Amino acid sequence: MATARQSENHSTTSVPLEDNPMKAFRSRIFRPALVCALSTFALSSVASGQSEKLVIEAGRIMTLAGEDIADGVIVIDNGRITAIGSQDEVEKPWDAQVIGGPEFTAFPGFIEAHSYRGMDRPNENVDVAPFLDVRDSVDPVAYYFEDCLRWGITNVNIQQGNNCVIGARGMVVRPTGMTIEEMAVRPNFGLKMSASPKSGKSRATQAQSLREAFGELRRYLEDLVQAEKDEKGFAAREAMFQGRELDGEKAEGRPMGGTAWKVEGLEMIPRGAIDEKMEPLLDVVEGRRQVFFYCGGPTDVPRALDLARENGFLPRTVLVIDESCWKAADLIAEAGVPVVLEGSLVHTERDAITGEEIETFVPDELAERGVRFALSSENASTSSLWYQAALAIGLGLDRDAALEAVTRVPAEILGLGKEVGSLEVGKLGNVCLFSGDPLSVTSWVEHVVIEGREVYDRSEDVRNRHLLEGVQPAGTAVPGGDDAEHGVHGESREKGGKDEEGK
Amino acid sequence: MKPLSMPFRLFLSGVSLALAVSPAAAQDSWVIRADAVYTADGEAIEGGFVAVSDGKIAGVGPGSGGGGDVLEAAAVTPGLIDLSVRIGTREFSVEQSTETPIELDVADTLDLFSYRWARELRSGVTTVLATPYDNAVLGGYGTVLKTGGEPTLEGRTLKGKAVLRASMGSQPSSGNYPPRGTSPSNFYARRPTTRMGVEWVFRKSYYDALADEQNDDPRLAILRETIQGNLPVAVQAWATQDVRTAVYLKEEFGIPRMFLDAAAEAWKEPALLVRSGVGVVLPPFSFEGRVSDGYTNAEHFLALDSAAKLHAAGVPIALSAHNAMDVGSRLPRQAGMAMRGGLSFEAALAAVTLEPARMVGVEDRVGTIEVGKDADLVLWSGKPFELTSRVIGVLLDGVLVVDPREEQ
Repeated sequence: MATARQSENHSTTSVPLEDNPMKAFRSRIFRPALVCALSTFALSSVASGQSEKLVIEAGRIMTLAGEDIADGVIVIDNGRITAIGSQDEVEKPWDAQVIGGPEFTAFPGFIEAHSYRGMDRPNENVDVAPFLDVRDSVDPVAYYFEDCLRWGITNVNIQQGNNCVIGARGMVVRPTGMTIEEMAVRPNFGLKMSASPKSGKSRATQAQSLREAFGELRRYLEDLVQAEKDEKGFAAREAMFQGRELDGEKAEGRPMGGTAWKVEGLEMIPRGAIDEKMEPLLDVVEGRRQVFFYCGGPTDVPRALDLARENGFLPRTVLVIDESCWKAADLIAEAGVPVVLEGSLVHTERDAITGEEIETFVPDELAERGVRFALSSENASTSSLWYQAALAIGLGLDRDAALEAVTRVPAEILGLGKEVGSLEVGKLGNVCLFSGDPLSVTSWVEHVVIEGREVYDRSEDVRNRHLLEGVQPAGTAVPGGDDAEHGVHGESREKGGKDEEGK
Repeated sequence: MKPLSMPFRLFLSGVSLALAVSPAAAQDSWVIRADAVYTADGEAIEGGFVAVSDGKIAGVGPGSGGGGDVLEAAAVTPGLIDLSVRIGTREFSVEQSTETPIELDVADTLDLFSYRWARELRSGVTTVLATPYDNAVLGGYGTVLKTGGEPTLEGRTLKGKAVLRASMGSQPSSGNYPPRGTSPSNFYARRPTTRMGVEWVFRKSYYDALADEQNDDPRLAILRETIQGNLPVAVQAWATQDVRTAVYLKEEFGIPRMFLDAAAEAWKEPALLVRSGVGVVLPPFSFEGRVSDGYTNAEHFLALDSAAKLHAAGVPIALSAHNAMDVGSRLPRQAGMAMRGGLSFEAALAAVTLEPARMVGVEDRVGTIEVGKDADLVLWSGKPFELTSRVIGVLLDGVLVVDPREEQ
């Protein structure tokens, strides 16, 4: 079981999330469920066991929680911010390491609300695959994670690619570390679904496959309860045949939660006896798991929302939308779900009559209707969120809204609203030092600190020097670099040139 | 459902207005006031104005510029110039009957009704060089034209037959095969199939032009024009070896005026370019450094500091966007990327205004804010080329084609 594996691997101190949507749930549920919830929604910390102190000095601190601080200091102890303020307000611990200086602007790390990069392969052949976990696919040395640091991204939500019906379980990571355990911030988090047709399917078969997955779950649970009624201990024996241990909370049953539909008698079934393929979907119906629902066009939006309503997971739904979905913005606003805008900030189409090009700035359409949105660099020309935010401002979005869409909103979508997304006492010590205004085209990320540990220093970034100056320093290897002529290249990526000229 | 957000609705209404209304009827006299006037010709003017009268720039300086119809902006620059737009000139427009259709003119194939011109206008680009597509070694004449105004060649052309287009590298030979197992008269078997072949076709054409000066073949006469310095040669050369080949051919035949287009790897040869007096049009930057011609799929490495490095060496540079659909890749963003690579704001501005104007010889008409020049102006919401700034207004020959007053 995934939960068992986590508790083995994450022996470091796990910190429960205060703002976890599970909080309300916990109070209603009896104790074994609470224990289970804690282990499922645990936050693993990179700095636990350490007591190293770090002082970050900056000419300007953009806290994104109130006013900027001029000539400021951030103190990080044991991975968390313990003090923040101006030089004369904050006492610097004598034994702290000090980085930064007056030439830098301190900024909270950017948060990628949804990504399917950094994996061996982002899509699975099986249509309905919630028994899989992206942790088995994430490659800690993928060039993508190095790029994240280069652009100041300190948390990434990795979910399966969009080419699925129901995908694997995802995870939130910090883009640093040689093992998946070091990277994990929220393991076993979220589930990917797609309302757009998986390749080879039509929209009709896609919708039917989605409905059928939940129909199958319901029949499975009903059959399991009936079998247990017919023969006491059936479920527990089945679990043992499949090699699953039933101990602790796994040996306990509890009534079905959630608001949509219920299977009576589920309390008779030890939770650990529920099939791995079905368990994540049961989590979804019980409102215990975030769903990242991909919509590749406006027509997919109502289908996704309907399925979420029918199965009670609308409050835990995040729509991952393509730019054309602004046309369904009213529906999104009515449903009250947040969105991750994947891809271009501008939707482009041709007027059917005049042939003129019509460009629609999508964040404006969302903001006007009060839809909460996170910007994403997935499918953009760069894996940098500063670029997306700056471009959004250039196209007319309010500066604060643009900054929130790459920090606070994604933090909240990932249930990390009290941990990251701004620089405040008590939050995790995730800080980027920029050479100037973070959204200026001439600024660079100079240092990145994740949970009190410096994980990136531009002066030592060989790859960045190569991109900037074109000269490959002697004796260095480049990821995927087998091009002797230029000595360049990372993973192969779809090139730009989206223009339709000549088609 | 609200159809369009503010900034984009204005683009549409502004552009269609410009197309519908004949220039004679449109207002072409204005006073533009800006916190900063970047003339691309000397120092920036803080708190200045540009006066426009009858489609020409009538005055520029500090202060309010007196009365009249006033437009306001955070900054104003000359209209931007892109020498590599590639609108309506893809492979279907390539003449296949010869590898050297020197006498053909791209003006005869341009679609002035394409919606892509409006995209250029919205991005602040008012003047472009259109050239034949690069599947021929010597592809014919390119033409310099405005991106808006009446959709006729007479109405838009700034300088016809402005350059001779040439292409190095693998693109002219791609799709050709040696006559193996097929008739040598086979359509594809006829053309060069290697870089060597491309270079040979170029060299043979020039030998023919020089061998018999009395030969009245008009194609050879055009080549002699380039040797006499009356016609610049614009050479597509993505890779380092193509950059070198182009410069060696220039020196071999004594072609005085040449600039390289899409010269992604020109940054490796600044000394050679300086020695030979060759300018460079850079292709659009990418964040991973790799760029491709989109045709042969060969990849080239465009270092982010290419523009800065070439500029520092003394090579004239221009930037281009290849008519990118993506708003993050259009010409103002290319200038921003060049600045990210270390180019100064002033040099970045020149690389999208005065330098390209000089390369194609239209600097007497456009490229700077100077009294007497065409009133092609771009109004900005903030510091030009920052991602956080946008084009809020565009004047083309004094006519407001993107209206900043609809912005608020």
